[in-house]
Amino acid sequence: MERTPLHRRVAYMRRCLFDQGYLDEQFVQLEDLQDEANPNFVEEIVTLFYTDSARLIHNIEQALQNRPLDFNRLDDYMHQFKGSSSSIGAKKVKSECTQFREHCSARNAEGCIRSFQQVKQEHTILRSKLEAYFHWQRKLDKQTESYPELAA
Amino acid sequence: MEQPSKINNNEKSIQQGFSPSGCGDLISTRKFTALVVDNDPICQIIEKAILESQGVETQFVGSGIDALDLLVTGANFDIIIIAWVLPMMNGVETTRQVRAMGIRSKLLAVTACFDERKKKAFLDAGVDEFIEKPLNPKKVASIMREMKND
Repeated sequence: MERTPLHRRVAYMRRCLFDQGYLDEQFVQLEDLQDEANPNFVEEIVTLFYTDSARLIHNIEQALQNRPLDFNRLDDYMHQFKGSSSSIGAKKVKSECTQFREHCSARNAEGCIRSFQQVKQEHTILRSKLEAYFHWQRKLDKQTESYPELAA
Repeated sequence: MEQPSKINNNEKSIQQGFSPSGCGDLISTRKFTALVVDNDPICQIIEKAILESQGVETQFVGSGIDALDLLVTGANFDIIIIAWVLPMMNGVETTRQVRAMGIRSKLLAVTACFDERKKKAFLDAGVDEFIEKPLNPKKVASIMREMKND
């Protein structure tokens, strides 16, 4: 129930994440996996995603320094990045990964370098949006614990 | 068998031995097991969580070699999920070797990028189904229904 300003704020932030195309249905599927035993499953998975994807980003950056570019290796890295992005519902990140892989297939070095900047940009934007969302979600959870009648 | 009316109380459904969905299906008492073969830690955790939410006891390993090592010990799995990109031995080769061991488990290729070439390679190697990531609970539920009806 959107009763308090905090409820409304969190609901609005969540709606924007979907309406603006940052997240897709997969994120909702992950939320459905949350229960009393794993109440923070989504936030934990997203945190792990950002830790692990930092490693992939580093590997891709290193690979992009080599000449000539090893497009097969770059494709493998981006394949993995796309897999984990799609698994958390990161829609725009996933889409940029697809663009990058198309440049790999076309053996287009400049295209790869350009689209990798887009991948990193969307990755960063989503991170800050999700951090903010989880921050306010946690406040809402605390409010609900202190005032359970507001959750009714 | 008389079809029950839709039962809203899921606990009551389960006690009576019927699926909480109200569709009249009997719940299988057999515990299904799965092995996820994927070196991406995010996918490992998510796929395990999705399978376990459907009542499937799940393990994961990070490579085809680790999967084969586990299968060679006699570990049995109803479902084996295999990714395309794996260290040392890719998903297609892993599939080939699993089938060469005589393993008849349901093999699902779950991969980030769909293309016909990959799909054909996996199917030729012996997977039962090729799925583009992300794996989602609805897909797993439909696979489980098919397996329970077999």
